[in-house]
Amino acid sequence: MKNFNTLKVLDLFRIMFERFEIDYWTMRRIIQIKLTMDSRRPTTIMSQNMGGEKKKDTNQFLKSLWFYALIGLTLIPILFIGDNFMFQMSLIFGVVMFLIMTAMISDFSSVLLDVRDQTVIGTRPVDHRTISAARTIHVLIYLLFLTAAIVCVPFIVGTVQYGIVFGLLFCVTVLFSDLFIVAITALLYYVILKFFGGERLRDIINYVQIGLSFTIVVGYQVLARAFEFQGIQASFEPAWWNMFLPPVWFGAPFAVALNGANGWYYEVFIALAILIPVIALWIYLSLLPTFERNLLKLMDQTGPPKKKATKGMNRLASLLTTSKEEHAFYQFAERVLKNERDLKLKIYPSLGFAIIFPFVFLYNGYSAGQSLESIRSGQMYITIYASMMMIPGIVIMLQYSSKSKGSWIYHVTPIDNMGVIMKGTLKAFLIRLFAPVFLVISLLYGLLFGIRILPDLIIVLLIAIIYSVICFRMLKGTLPFSQPFESAGQSDGWKTIPFALLIPVFGGIHFALTYVPFGTWVYLVILLLIVPLTWQKGLQR
Amino acid sequence: MNHGPGKVLSLKGLTKWYGEKLVLDHIDLDVYEGQIIGYIGPNGAGKSTTVKIMLGLDTSYTGKVEIFGQDIKESGVAYKKRIGYVPEAADLYDNLTAREYLTFTGELYGLSADTADDKARLLMNVFELEDVYDSRISSYSKGMKQKVLLISSLLHDPDILFLDEPINGLDANSVMVFKEILAQLAAQGKTIFYSSHIMEVVQKISSRILLLNDGKIVADGSFEQLSQKNKEGSLEEIFNQLTGFNEHQNLAEDFVRIVQRDNR
Repeated sequence: MKNFNTLKVLDLFRIMFERFEIDYWTMRRIIQIKLTMDSRRPTTIMSQNMGGEKKKDTNQFLKSLWFYALIGLTLIPILFIGDNFMFQMSLIFGVVMFLIMTAMISDFSSVLLDVRDQTVIGTRPVDHRTISAARTIHVLIYLLFLTAAIVCVPFIVGTVQYGIVFGLLFCVTVLFSDLFIVAITALLYYVILKFFGGERLRDIINYVQIGLSFTIVVGYQVLARAFEFQGIQASFEPAWWNMFLPPVWFGAPFAVALNGANGWYYEVFIALAILIPVIALWIYLSLLPTFERNLLKLMDQTGPPKKKATKGMNRLASLLTTSKEEHAFYQFAERVLKNERDLKLKIYPSLGFAIIFPFVFLYNGYSAGQSLESIRSGQMYITIYASMMMIPGIVIMLQYSSKSKGSWIYHVTPIDNMGVIMKGTLKAFLIRLFAPVFLVISLLYGLLFGIRILPDLIIVLLIAIIYSVICFRMLKGTLPFSQPFESAGQSDGWKTIPFALLIPVFGGIHFALTYVPFGTWVYLVILLLIVPLTWQKGLQR
Repeated sequence: MNHGPGKVLSLKGLTKWYGEKLVLDHIDLDVYEGQIIGYIGPNGAGKSTTVKIMLGLDTSYTGKVEIFGQDIKESGVAYKKRIGYVPEAADLYDNLTAREYLTFTGELYGLSADTADDKARLLMNVFELEDVYDSRISSYSKGMKQKVLLISSLLHDPDILFLDEPINGLDANSVMVFKEILAQLAAQGKTIFYSSHIMEVVQKISSRILLLNDGKIVADGSFEQLSQKNKEGSLEEIFNQLTGFNEHQNLAEDFVRIVQRDNR
């Protein structure tokens, strides 16, 4: 088994662990096993050929560190927007702490919450201290890598620019903020596990993961625009409510050391920056035994009973589907889209983008010099087509599921027309995922542009329906939810591009027709005739 | 009852509440060397909970649990060196290979890595799994996983074995080998705690049967003793009688009627 370099570094601290009555070699062995497992992706498809050639172990996490380093790079401008360290450093710590916290929750939850530890290690002669220590060290290893990747570039640039004092302060404050984050995350889990079951915790983790991937992309949009505000003069007046903002605590030492700021506010901030992490860590350590006991709750899969579908949704389902089989698959796809966490993680962020993008384009038009009045009376509402960009990406995801093995159900049931499966699934997608997004944007656009765009909105809706059918052809008859995620390749992204290019074409046609008298109305009628046709012809297999 | 020379396990007034629910109700039990104990009971009767408590996974109970003569709340974890465990849910680190997993668990029991590896490979050979020794466990069939768990529980030659549905997924031939292994181990004075829902197997291999119902032991004795006392032919029937279950006919009728209800 691989002897990881990390473990060799750990060996230097052996005496320290032994002083705490931790069985060092057992702990080291547990961490070694854990690191080995981390370096292997969860295998479903690749391990099918038993005894096959040895796969190379690659740690996905280490690869993703490059990405975090890149994000760290974007922090550089903040270092240069002035010389008010209180403001700049608080901002930097805000970003860094947010990233680390969300990454902790999304990437390390599986480490903190691995229930197999209970049966595999807990039943063996290993005492609790050693198990807890192994788990803590395992998380710390990753946390240090992650932190190092994010702050590496700002650290070097900052030290060169502002001197060695800055560098030292940065190191210390970052370490304390790490402690704070570990303790807070663990305490968060503790509280959730204490009051709710494991299912609820998994849900919360899932939403944080979705939020993270969403925020990173949107954050880029915001950061890209941040350069426009270069002229801002950042000034900082401490106020009492700053005490509730942890990033401000960690910014204070910089202000004192480098700006010569003083005042009791700053002293309080520094005290908080030191004391709170230590206290949180102390609480975490003393709660660890109870935490481990609560982890047992994760073993029973029972959660709060899910709310039943409302009558309205059921009636809608019957209304929209034309046969019993189609109805069944509609309901099935709707449940999968609602309940499967891996699928939600892949799909939901793009729903967020679908809401944001039209407004990004709208804003671009606004900042290009048009007045609000001219926008309101113009044809900028065509930007709503941008929300359709989510469709190809999501449709291609519809073939995947983490429980793809369950797809035998398609083949043992007496369904002679596979088209009903596609229809049901596509309708569920349109109602469950597209419709809410479209409604929100339509409402906002309606407020902005007035009731006059109603026929245009209907056209967009009809186009979206036709467009979904076209995108469904991408799957080439692969049944929904029948492929494991592991088989999703890079090529999926490329496949969607030609389909995405159709969107500006649709938008262009629509835009041109607004100049033709009654053009949109004729278009609307034609589309109304085409839609049923595409559904009948387009989804045969 | 054949009381062997030594008492290895003793429960005194073991009581466990799970929230408002009483899972174990003052269980008293003494177990001796060389016994194969069939530990049976309906779902939710408290079987797994008992095993978890004895393995030290669950410490929030009242009463006393003594293993090898020592209270496990005071003795530390050393007693686990002489215990082997096959969990019900086949929980294992399945993206390790069998070699890695078995060496690892062997080391946790205090074997050296080489000894554990050697022994594990030989045992895998016996089960004709030598070809997949270096393949990941996630690629194994259910029966193969079960064999790995079994090897992992026996690698350190324990004195007490806790087996929870151990023959799940094994084929008939493997089951025969497995039964013979248990019989030989018991003959050497090892104690085996066997919990299962398959009554025929329990009836055949157990030297002593414990029936748990609603957190209480409602029957304790060899199969012959139980069948004399309850005037029933098989363990399944005794089980039904003692757990107060006699409506299987009615339930089955209901079931079939509902299945056929909408046929035209």
